[in-house]
Amino acid sequence: MYDADAMFDADVIVIGSGGGGAVAAKELGEAGLKVLVLEAGPWYGNKQWANPNSERGGEWSSDYKDLDVGIYKKIFNAYENNMNDLVSGVFRFGPADRRRTPWHRVMRQKGEIWQLSGVGGTTQLYWSQSPRAFPLAVDNIWPISYRELVPYYEKAEATLPVQFAPTTPKEELFYYGAKKAGWPLIPTLNVTTPGYRPNPNAILPTNEHLMDQSYSLEQLSNMEGCTLKGNCVNGCTTGSSVDKIAKRSTLVSYVPLALKTGNVAIRPNSFVIKLLTAQDPKEGLRATGVQFRDTWTGEIGELTARTVVMAAGCIESPRLWLNSGLPYNEWVGRGLTNHCFDWVAGVFDEKDLMSIMGLPAVYPYVGHTSGARVDIPGTGIFQVSCLSPGLMSFLTYGFSEAGYDALNPPEPGAPWDIHGRVVGPQLKELMMNYSRTMSILILTDDETLYRNRVQIDPLLKDENGPIPIMHYTPSPKTLKRRDQLARYASETLKQAGARKIIRSDTPFGSMIHLESTMRMGYVTDTNCEAYQVRRLFIADNSVHFNGIGGPNPTLTTQALATRTAEKIVTKYFS
Amino acid sequence: MHPSAIYAATVDSHTFATFRALVEAIIPDSPVSATYSPELTAGAADLCIHEYMIWELDHSLSLVLGFGLTDIPLSCSTAGLLNVGAVHLAASRQLQHPPNPLLWESGPFSAMSRNDRISVLAMLEQGNIDPGVLPPPYRNDLGFTRYMIDFLNRQTMFGNYSEWSAYGTTRLRTPTERRLEYFPVSWKQAEYPGVVPGYRALLGYMLTIERKGGESTIV
Repeated sequence: MYDADAMFDADVIVIGSGGGGAVAAKELGEAGLKVLVLEAGPWYGNKQWANPNSERGGEWSSDYKDLDVGIYKKIFNAYENNMNDLVSGVFRFGPADRRRTPWHRVMRQKGEIWQLSGVGGTTQLYWSQSPRAFPLAVDNIWPISYRELVPYYEKAEATLPVQFAPTTPKEELFYYGAKKAGWPLIPTLNVTTPGYRPNPNAILPTNEHLMDQSYSLEQLSNMEGCTLKGNCVNGCTTGSSVDKIAKRSTLVSYVPLALKTGNVAIRPNSFVIKLLTAQDPKEGLRATGVQFRDTWTGEIGELTARTVVMAAGCIESPRLWLNSGLPYNEWVGRGLTNHCFDWVAGVFDEKDLMSIMGLPAVYPYVGHTSGARVDIPGTGIFQVSCLSPGLMSFLTYGFSEAGYDALNPPEPGAPWDIHGRVVGPQLKELMMNYSRTMSILILTDDETLYRNRVQIDPLLKDENGPIPIMHYTPSPKTLKRRDQLARYASETLKQAGARKIIRSDTPFGSMIHLESTMRMGYVTDTNCEAYQVRRLFIADNSVHFNGIGGPNPTLTTQALATRTAEKIVTKYFS
Repeated sequence: MHPSAIYAATVDSHTFATFRALVEAIIPDSPVSATYSPELTAGAADLCIHEYMIWELDHSLSLVLGFGLTDIPLSCSTAGLLNVGAVHLAASRQLQHPPNPLLWESGPFSAMSRNDRISVLAMLEQGNIDPGVLPPPYRNDLGFTRYMIDFLNRQTMFGNYSEWSAYGTTRLRTPTERRLEYFPVSWKQAEYPGVVPGYRALLGYMLTIERKGGESTIV
């Protein structure tokens, strides 16, 4: 029987230190609560783990002085195979030990899940896109209003901080095409009408000395401020200290702030395998702690707390609920959205670029990975997004729902010249034009469907328990919007002067923006506390009611986590 | 023997030949011409991307089988999948070119023309085959087969156009022990300058957020 007077290890245990967990930890620590954070993956840039991918290192870190930019920069070398290989890279969903395999999810469709373990979670590689939700996708749909979110957006934006992206050649070309295609400029953070704008990104403003030749680039890369080096996705290294790194993953933003409170301790390499609960005479079933597995030693540990915040992500949060034998809720793991993303690229001629910009190339490797966008509430977003060549080649030419372009070319009159995968001599020719290719990410206002889900495999297990199975098939409405966005993006590329348009038709199972698998109003109340388990809160993308209309969900999770921390303090610690 | 050679020696020759045939169909070498030097014409097989693919597939899956966590290498079974697909395509008389009879016995997939190898991938991707004839773990699982065919395409491209080949003699070591030995050939092909500390490419700001007293305005 649960003892209400028992001593707890902490006021709050936070499961996961990614986009949401790190925010909850910082906010709760600032409120004076004792917080323990358990993170499944490694910690990069901390003296306790000098060689985090090959040695176990320490157990906990709670001291800001443990942060070490030298260790951080040694690991984050921005080489894309080393960093981004989903099987064995620094950025993967797997144990810290890179000799071991990643953690598996069952996918019976084409696609890939871009989620990372590690302190900072997937924000380690996200492009720092920090737009707010479309009000149209929240008001009269979510159980809370957009207005309710605004003060928390403001706080998260100021903390990260968020700023509009600078213009580099690829953004200039994008604006040129978008304006010619008839989109107006929308100078706002609250998007209610369609138009183009720079991306609100969680990236420090460009170093004020960047264009001053008396500073070497090497010097600038060790100072505060972005150097436009184009490695947002490969691991940003620009900055003078861990907490001044230009791209604001939570590893370099909220985590250092959490440590500065003196109330937060973080334990990496610790996979939470079970939520512990007890029957409270007054509250009913309540969370009391967690059971976790050390990913290096395999040892199982237990920690207890007065409240638990689950921020393990859209797959692991429902998995943990299901593997812990918590009460049945038909919406746990259901309602998965992923923005059903697509990818369109345009190849330009050097002479056209010279006449438009006075430059011979698009320079896709320069500037923020994604710096400009067209927002269309009710449909979605398309945004210029350029990557290093390995990632660009597979996203543009290797990854398709449509199969091979040569075996199934576009229908006559289609706005693209190539639809689907490109292989053989044509691929090589196109990749020789990499520096003159501008690519565009398409994010769809994805309809939330019960059938799209995370389940638990009845047979297959890894060391952390039964493993997740993913199912996602878009609705006809989602597909219609996605197709419309691909047409809009193609038009902008054509207006900008592109000579050849490629539509990837990205596999539906490609998941970069997973959301809404533990939906507010179904699994949690409006405080993000589980209906069926008191003192269990959710602070990741899974608690979103829907896909927020298409914008990157991270900032909304960060705003909600800020709000949830406030609710926890008010309800249980006042 | 250096570690790459030790690892390569553990892979059977059929698997090796099948993956070599796969990557050269996806990214072939190109004819050397006045415009393109031999370096610029190198294809995925020249960059040993078949070894990359084998390594990736053999280091991607572990599951609890019986009492403990077990690594499940996938390269051999995936080579088997491609060869079963090749036999099926040939049997259904859909080949564009006759296969090389000398290679057919040891590996049907690598005996085919490059275009026919792509047709095998397309057929498997579309599920135009009896799933019961596929080797485990693909048997009766066209969903996983579809996932894998997509993976084979995109991972070949990612391996080829990333810096992997430039790890040279260390390329098959555990990732933390790989060392760059030269500038990647494929990055030269793509005219990617590599990893640099920054670019003096600022053209200005279209909009700026200004914050005062907990509220923001756009200027």
